[in-house]
Amino acid sequence: MRDIIFWLSGAALAFLVTAGAFLLLANLATAPSQERLNPEQARVGSGQSVDLILDREQIASLRYLPDQSLTLIVENEGGEQLSDVSVTLNVFSENTALPNFRHYRQTVQKIPAGEAARVRFEFDLLVREEPVARPPTANPEQSREILEIKATTPEGNSTVRTVILPP
Amino acid sequence: MLSRVGSAKRVAVLSIAAVFAAGCAHADEEVSIAPLVPAAGRVDPGLGPGTRALSSGPGYKSSPSWSPGGDRIAFTVDGYVVDRLTASGDLRNWTTRDFIAEDTEWISEDTLMILGAASPSGTEETPSSLYRARAAEDSLELETVEKDVSAIGPGRGGLIFALGRGAFGSGLALTRGSGDVRRLYSESIKGRVASLSLSPDGDEAVVAVRPPGDLETSGLYVFDLRKGIGREIMRLDGNQEIVGTPQWTGQYLYFVAGEKDEPIDRDGSEPLYEIYRVPQEGGATEPVPGVGEDFVAASIRVSPDGERLAVIGRLNLKSPTNLYVLDPLAKDLTAVTTNEDMEIKTGPDDLAWSPGGQSVAVIARGTPSTEPEVRADPADRLLRDFYNLYEIPVDGSEDAPR
Repeated sequence: MRDIIFWLSGAALAFLVTAGAFLLLANLATAPSQERLNPEQARVGSGQSVDLILDREQIASLRYLPDQSLTLIVENEGGEQLSDVSVTLNVFSENTALPNFRHYRQTVQKIPAGEAARVRFEFDLLVREEPVARPPTANPEQSREILEIKATTPEGNSTVRTVILPP
Repeated sequence: MLSRVGSAKRVAVLSIAAVFAAGCAHADEEVSIAPLVPAAGRVDPGLGPGTRALSSGPGYKSSPSWSPGGDRIAFTVDGYVVDRLTASGDLRNWTTRDFIAEDTEWISEDTLMILGAASPSGTEETPSSLYRARAAEDSLELETVEKDVSAIGPGRGGLIFALGRGAFGSGLALTRGSGDVRRLYSESIKGRVASLSLSPDGDEAVVAVRPPGDLETSGLYVFDLRKGIGREIMRLDGNQEIVGTPQWTGQYLYFVAGEKDEPIDRDGSEPLYEIYRVPQEGGATEPVPGVGEDFVAASIRVSPDGERLAVIGRLNLKSPTNLYVLDPLAKDLTAVTTNEDMEIKTGPDDLAWSPGGQSVAVIARGTPSTEPEVRADPADRLLRDFYNLYEIPVDGSEDAPR
């Protein structure tokens, strides 16, 4: 009888471990709305650093229309308060021959240590008419728009995110 | 035994609690995603070992061309012309960004010949001209060498080019290393020259021609540059067209051809084109032996030693596009890239041998996503998201794949 109980307990345990593992994997696979890309690869400079956090759903909702907006989070990862953090947004086409580069800039006055600040940019996403009829050899494809976001501390530490929007 | 069962129960209860605690815990709202490998000459795993990036960032790149010494490479980006050191360095502009170049060829270490047109003012087609640009000059001014030029190719000690002659004819001309026209041939070729290249000894040129009244480039000529006379070698029938530049190696002329109006093939991608060859003195045209019956070709380029052909194509309709090297004498086709998830560009001028014949430049990108992509690098450092140039070792390198 004890042996039967022992083996039944073992079988139940094995089942629960397997089920738990699947639950764990399912949780890990769920895409969060906000993404923190590995900041180590994109940082320049030394000292106290900032991170940029983008909302995936908000990026997916951007349209090639006027009056688009993007709110991002600038996070102070250091142990001291940051002042005058510059946040820039460059909007430009994948087609480098098109003169439609736009630059936006905001400054975050203070970010306490370990805290974050929200920054909102408003901009137009327009598919501009090409100034001339360029032959297919120049670029036969429909161009994508690129958003390049950069946060820079007064000490020169910076973090970059590049968003490539499908046509 | 009692203690064993009791211990087992405790272990079971603790394990179940731990598994549920781990499994049901909500994952953090923010996750780390490993960014792409940055540019600057790193090995790119998408094309095989030894691959080196020669460009990065946005822009539709085309027509790579190595400088005579092999330390620089020129190419077009969205139509305008740039070059850079192959080892490292920033791009150097050769034209303004409204220029539309079709092809470029170096005639010396500091002089580039450019076939193209300044930005058209309207929608009417502007015939291309041949321009000369010098690296030493600060401005981006181009010097017009000849108007109404339809094709250029590297010549012996200069450049060979084709220019329009009347409504339905073409002529050939040679330049010196300085870019000045050295010889203008009086004999005309019937039709419009679409592309040309030299024989291995440099004394003749093989020319692809769109005959008068024909919608496709279907004729192949050989032009004797010493005597100044040309002869038709063959002409394709029906809707067949020659794509890209015919190449000359050994006793044969090689070209890529297929039916232009052939229905889209079964995988919905592109018409089928094959590599053909014809004896230099004329005769029967035949599919090139050694590549396989199902090979789908895109472009070919003869090596500097004249003995091998770099080929961009697919083994069959289901295969990925790769770079191959064909030894026509041995009838041996060797895969040089091991492409799994890259789109290798298949334009007729989108591959170039290095001057030493040790590597080939190709243009490739990762498959574009239909969803927004977020990267942790500045746009100008990104590789796979845009068409970029890669140097693929072919031989003379220990890393060259076999």
